[in-house]
Amino acid sequence: MSAVILVPLLPLLAALIVLMGNEGSRYQRAKIAAYPIGAAFLGAIATLWLVATQGPITIRFYDPASLSMLAFPMGFYIDRLSAVMMVLISGVGTIIYTYSIGYMYQDPNDRRYLALIAFTTSVLLCMVSSANLMMLFLFWQVLSYMLYLLAHNHAHAATLEGAFRTFTLLRVGDVAFLSGIVLAHQLYGTLEFQTLFAKATESAVMLTPLPGIEIGGTTAITLLLFIGAMSKSAQFPIHIWLPRSLYAPTPVHALLHAGIINAGGFLINRLAPLYGLSSTTLHVAFVVGMVTAVLGATTMLAQNDIKKTLGFSTIGQMGYMIMECGLGAFSLAVFHLIAHGLFKATVFLSCGNVIHKARQEPEFPQTNHAAKEEEFSRLTWATGFLTTLLIPLVILLVSHGVLHIPLRDSQGTVIFLFFIWVTSSQAILTLIRLRAVASWKVSAAMLLILLFVVFIYLFAVESFTRFLYPNPAEVATYFQAAALPNWLFDGLIGGTALVIILGWFYIYAQAQGRTMWVPNWVGGLRLRLYVLFLNRLYLDELYQSLGRAVMHVVHRIDKRESGWSK
Amino acid sequence: MTDIVTAPLLLAAVPIVGAMLGLVVWSQPEKLRIWSIIVTVLSLLAVIGMFGRMTVPAEGLLFVVLLPLAACVSLLGQPVHRDHRLAWVMTLLFLGLGLGILASQYLVSQITLIALLGLITFLLIWHHDPFWPTSWLGIGTFGLGTLCAGLAMIADPPVSSVASLLACAILLPLVPFHDGYVTALTRLPGSLPPFIVLLLPAIGLHDLAAVLPTLPEVAVSTMTILALVGALYGSVKALAQSRVRLLLAYGSISFFSILWWFVAASRTVIPQAAVFLGAVALATSGLLLAWQVVRTRYGDDVDPRAISGLASPMPEFAVLLSLLALAAMGLPPFGVFAGFMGLLLTSSLTLSAALLVIVIAWLAASWYILDMVQRLLFGLQRSDLRYEALRPAELASLLMVVLIVIALGVAPVSLFGIQTQPPRAGAVMESVTWNR
Repeated sequence: MSAVILVPLLPLLAALIVLMGNEGSRYQRAKIAAYPIGAAFLGAIATLWLVATQGPITIRFYDPASLSMLAFPMGFYIDRLSAVMMVLISGVGTIIYTYSIGYMYQDPNDRRYLALIAFTTSVLLCMVSSANLMMLFLFWQVLSYMLYLLAHNHAHAATLEGAFRTFTLLRVGDVAFLSGIVLAHQLYGTLEFQTLFAKATESAVMLTPLPGIEIGGTTAITLLLFIGAMSKSAQFPIHIWLPRSLYAPTPVHALLHAGIINAGGFLINRLAPLYGLSSTTLHVAFVVGMVTAVLGATTMLAQNDIKKTLGFSTIGQMGYMIMECGLGAFSLAVFHLIAHGLFKATVFLSCGNVIHKARQEPEFPQTNHAAKEEEFSRLTWATGFLTTLLIPLVILLVSHGVLHIPLRDSQGTVIFLFFIWVTSSQAILTLIRLRAVASWKVSAAMLLILLFVVFIYLFAVESFTRFLYPNPAEVATYFQAAALPNWLFDGLIGGTALVIILGWFYIYAQAQGRTMWVPNWVGGLRLRLYVLFLNRLYLDELYQSLGRAVMHVVHRIDKRESGWSK
Repeated sequence: MTDIVTAPLLLAAVPIVGAMLGLVVWSQPEKLRIWSIIVTVLSLLAVIGMFGRMTVPAEGLLFVVLLPLAACVSLLGQPVHRDHRLAWVMTLLFLGLGLGILASQYLVSQITLIALLGLITFLLIWHHDPFWPTSWLGIGTFGLGTLCAGLAMIADPPVSSVASLLACAILLPLVPFHDGYVTALTRLPGSLPPFIVLLLPAIGLHDLAAVLPTLPEVAVSTMTILALVGALYGSVKALAQSRVRLLLAYGSISFFSILWWFVAASRTVIPQAAVFLGAVALATSGLLLAWQVVRTRYGDDVDPRAISGLASPMPEFAVLLSLLALAAMGLPPFGVFAGFMGLLLTSSLTLSAALLVIVIAWLAASWYILDMVQRLLFGLQRSDLRYEALRPAELASLLMVVLIVIALGVAPVSLFGIQTQPPRAGAVMESVTWNR
């Protein structure tokens, strides 16, 4: 059992192999170091099997009763959640490291870079297998600094500025996390996960931070920890570090978007029993996630820089993930982050090839838009439109009849189904617009593939939920805690569906070359909104102004005070 | 009884006699520096030898161990130059006095403290740094400290308690009595600033632990408010500085104010307070030594904004400076973080304005320290600057500081002779299982 400690240690060994040694064996050492990381991946798989069959593994190198006497309480608690995350991190880490060997070949800074990749993988593995909140926080902070180093180019001013801002914003989250830990320890006297959950369930504590304002102890703790999660998972309004860190080498983005940014989702899942005790925090998470998803996706559409586009795409996806947590669908959030992580890692690692091929292809990107619009096919469009209407019905029947999901009682599942519907519809629309070929074969293939993907996704998520949270009562408790008032929930679903259907009609009309009457102010608003989102809501400028204002005040105080700098 | 008298005497005697013997090789700077370093090592050995024979104060024996180490690294980090001879000898003298104060009984300790404060005041008047004007306010603050230490010896309570508290506020800098500390850190020559950054606050905390039970309630309440003001003030001042020594002085004042708050709020000095103080002081000392490395190469009056891109030509320096910066910012696994978390988790702090101020001060450190380090290490390399890798002695001194600060973070506190206190009342001791 104790051999599982090797999983986080092996990437550390890889980092040491890369760093230690002479210049002549540099490339060989870089290649040799891939084996320990690969071994960590195999070890993670073995751990997952072990945990799935024999239950959680706990290894402690400290006395839990005297946690405050030693600020480095090293220990491991590996349950199914940790094991799944370990497989994801070590798997993606192995691929990224192997890719990076070739990518950074003959780069003067390749040693530093490869060692950082390996070390970050080790830190991530330690973080997800932490035995207590303190150890999780330790590695959480180290990760903030690793991110600063990874998003960093020594001699590039813009990169340095972005890295500095990244670290500062992440530290804001760290401070909130720290406050949450302190409060948890004060109220419940422990930072051990299991004991903390049990104590929080047993006793409801009320706090009065300001006269006349009362807040539940669990709500205060989870809200503070949630701010920590917001910073790492790039949630609005502290998301701006992610697009600003895009000067880093491409494999770093793969690691960032597939591993590091998922830390927030992991934290909430790790503390799911605590979050399940506070409806307020879950509702806040839902709102923050929803706002981030909407703003992230909209801003992505208005960007003209491919890396910024991908950055905001990730922000939008992280918004979805947090929103799922806010709805009590914790396992769904983990499934989402795994799927998204694998997808984004693939996108980033293959983008170099795509650019290379695009440069060799004289007709790509296409510039003849007029020719493209003529290809519009009524048949394909009708197939897509019908599919988008048909899919939700089929999903509802299957989920209700085959999977026995009580749809009326779980808003989270409804949101999930809704999400599948919207995503698949968007996929169809995108496919139609890219390749509008009037062929029954294409339409049929499209429909079948989509149904296949949707059903696999549906069954996979359901199985994954049973794997991660085997107790259905626990899952039901989370859904219950996260439940929104019915009128609000129905309004949200109905309103969103209406906006999407109207959007389809609008796109259809535009594609057909038809004009639709819209009030003048809508046209003006659309333009203003476009400019607003193109400039990323001017949040960068806002933060810069805020920083300047703070420094202005600081210098004024410094000048007024007869200090020693004069 | 014999041990109680002889142990402090011996501890103080080794460096003081060493300082006097050093005068024999006064005309040979290289030998004088080596001799001074040897004396600090002998001092450390004497401390280890006397470990079981000393009275253990409330804050433990950590400072008695750290002082010779701090003196050693301060001496190692200095370049060999005739102008630094006085600083080396004074470092040994200060070490002797410091060990005497920490290990002696009350009366001897106070007399030695008066001698130390008097010596610092004299040095500040006598020594002139061309780049820093004489600070009469700082000198006056040390004069006040000397007066308070004397008054504490002869007056009756509560005057003696308040006088002692004022002396502590000057040693362990508390706004508005911090001027002496800032002056000492910026004006004293050579190896003294990196050493006294630990020496003065350590003595301050040691004395504070003794005087705390006798303090009137109003004095403690005032301390609490001043500590919170000081934490913010130190951060704001540090943010505004472009001169490294000032930035580090104000940054450390901010952290020491946090310590003041915990001590005042709990009315006791817990072992974690000593770890926190030792780590903050050593991290600041390390950063001062790192700045000394830059000054050695580019002159005493170098503007930090004019230096950039040191990371590539000086990789060892970059790594060590980054680690020291991480320690000073309060990141794990260094002692500052360990001490800070220890203080937070053993206090009765809940959601309050105090917690907000403390975490803001902690956050601000990430801003001003990282900004300083980033400016020095990264950015474009200047073609007109000559870059020179760390010399062995410089490397050793910085590496030693890093290792000590890591040791403070990860080693059990009992290693330093600190008795662990029982866990807080109300903490859950039994193992409760969460039933999923």
